[in-house]
Amino acid sequence: MKRDRDREKTQQIHGGNSSGKAKIWEHEEEEEKDACMDELLAVLGYKVKSSDMAEVANKLEQLEMAMGTTMEDGITHLSTDTVHKNPSDLSGWVQSMLSELNNTSISTNFDENGLVESNKQNRTTIISDDDLRAIPGGAVFNNNIHKLNEPDLLSSESGSSSSTSNKRLRSSPIIDSARPVVLVDSQETGVRLVHTLMACAEAVQQENFNLADALVRHIGILAVSQSGAMRKVATYFAEALARRIYKIYPPDNSIESSYTDVLQMHFYETCPYLKFAHFTANQAILEAFTNCNKVHVVDFSLNQGMQWPALIQALALRPGGPPAFRLTGIGPPQPDNTDALQQVGWKLAQLAETIGVEFEFRGFVANSLADLDASILDIKPSETEAVAVNSVFELHRLLSRPGAIEKVLNSIKRMNPKIVTIVEQEANHNAVVFLDRFNEALHYYSTMFDSLESSLTQPVNNQDLVMSEVYLGRQICNVVTCEGSDRVERHETLSQWRVRMNLSGFDPVHLGSNAFKQASMLLALFAGGDGYRVEENDGCLMLGWHTRPLIATSAWQLTAAMASCSELTQ
Amino acid sequence: MGTNFFINDNQDVLIEILKRLDGRSLGVAACVCKLWCGIARNDSLWEHLCFRHVSQPQEGVRTVVLALGGYRRLYMVCVRPVLNRLRKWRPIGMESDSEIVRRVYWTRHEVELSLSLFCVDYYERVLLGGGGGGGGGGGGGRHGGDGARTTSLMFLCKAVNV
Repeated sequence: MKRDRDREKTQQIHGGNSSGKAKIWEHEEEEEKDACMDELLAVLGYKVKSSDMAEVANKLEQLEMAMGTTMEDGITHLSTDTVHKNPSDLSGWVQSMLSELNNTSISTNFDENGLVESNKQNRTTIISDDDLRAIPGGAVFNNNIHKLNEPDLLSSESGSSSSTSNKRLRSSPIIDSARPVVLVDSQETGVRLVHTLMACAEAVQQENFNLADALVRHIGILAVSQSGAMRKVATYFAEALARRIYKIYPPDNSIESSYTDVLQMHFYETCPYLKFAHFTANQAILEAFTNCNKVHVVDFSLNQGMQWPALIQALALRPGGPPAFRLTGIGPPQPDNTDALQQVGWKLAQLAETIGVEFEFRGFVANSLADLDASILDIKPSETEAVAVNSVFELHRLLSRPGAIEKVLNSIKRMNPKIVTIVEQEANHNAVVFLDRFNEALHYYSTMFDSLESSLTQPVNNQDLVMSEVYLGRQICNVVTCEGSDRVERHETLSQWRVRMNLSGFDPVHLGSNAFKQASMLLALFAGGDGYRVEENDGCLMLGWHTRPLIATSAWQLTAAMASCSELTQ
Repeated sequence: MGTNFFINDNQDVLIEILKRLDGRSLGVAACVCKLWCGIARNDSLWEHLCFRHVSQPQEGVRTVVLALGGYRRLYMVCVRPVLNRLRKWRPIGMESDSEIVRRVYWTRHEVELSLSLFCVDYYERVLLGGGGGGGGGGGGGRHGGDGARTTSLMFLCKAVNV
């Protein structure tokens, strides 16, 4: 009986092509476990010990997967002709294939926890069998069992895909990877991916760039096995690390400021973070401006002016009628010298005219906020006009130059504002040690990407999602790759900002329940709003995804002493 | 006794009836015939619909809303999605489910939020040239002709899994 079945299989084998063997072998290994050469394969001319069958099958599968994934990525490397010295020795053949594909000078071993220990003395290129068995067993063997349940061995699809991979064997692409990849258990690979990322960062920190290089490539391969948010985050971080290793720094920021505006618009539309920031800040400003007839807002982060229509409308409808509203917008210089600020100002002016609010706009172009002086901004005395200063995701850039933040805070004080609203990312990406920064950023942006992924239940506009990711990707690149004055994404936590503001002479202003309710409602309107959380933190509002706060809005006023000082100096 | 009562001859009665309908029915009514369509498109009907359950309609709201596109658009773009979504949402402090589901009144906060979103919609649509627009998911847009829906409020258009 068994013989007949085997004979049938043999006939099928002859009919199929040679690489369908991968699947057959897995079947064979279930049936025959002799100590001698496997009979059926011997018929075909391959000498494989039956005891080796499982391992050979594994290696072949890894080979196929590795081929498959690199082709997906579109990585076409140099092709070499692999020379098979002894094709009938299947085990050895696969071994030589795999070692061809592993060209690095490092062999790494993963211990039980998946952490990488680099083997500094060892410069061999051969991955021994031991390595394969060192792979945590469950992942590998589970897959084998799964494969065995697949009914149709020689289905045409598997045949054709295997045949193309077979063809690829002839001109094998060189894949630089530290070890063959087992793309089986996605969750396990996910954990491994995170560990590899962290190990790579550590290597970079220790300036061990060879190891880092190998790990970065490995990340690329592992990342492909993931899906969704994790994959994208890993890809961005891998790119940033690669840039750091090869010292290919991203182009100068000033050239791309208009592109950044576009990206931020898409980010605005995809997820609630910016809307939350704008609405909560506006609420604070609105409350500060009650009973004022002339108001002046200085906006450090004008971009497209998306924050202000809602404020203008709220001012129009406030009891007692709207005040005279003056807006001063500050923005970076545009590469093509267009006056983007004036255009935004003009549009806001049109809106204000439509709904009947007296409006005036001035724009100031500055490379950095520290270049400005309060006197340029034409601040009127506080009896006549109430001033508010607004900064959304801008203040942290000042931390890249020493003394800049103090200068700007002093300028703000000299403006004698009624309220200062600050929205910043809730994360510490400004640690001195690179590794700490990296780990913190990894967690932060993973959560961010997660929320982006989940907030679009149906990808109504995929382009928005992609552009938002690019927007975040640039931040990642800046945090990881750049150093010194180039590294502008120096986010700090709310507690750190609190200390800084207190030291500079500001008192916190509590944001109040109106802002909280409005923010909660806004979030409830977003599909996927279940994941977003609004938290109140000692008068400040934080928006987070599940348990992790991601951005924080806070409001400040001058301490009484400061206020009287400013009045005297005006 | 053959005094037939034709509703179309008594438009004031028709208007009174339409005033008491909900949004969807008003939309359906607009599809009946040209006369009904003309009447149903009257913005004051939609104003009534938007604000009939708000305790005190603020002064000046009408000017603003009319300037930003009218009550019918306000209803379609903001009020309806806000009410639909928030009806199923349990705000802090609400006890029973049935109270939420059957809630018809809406609070000052929701009014303010809707108006703000409406303003943002106007800004994006008219002034920023409406990035992308259109393609909104569930509901709305049936009364067409008001131009593409702006993308910032796309999140309001997405169907909510009830």
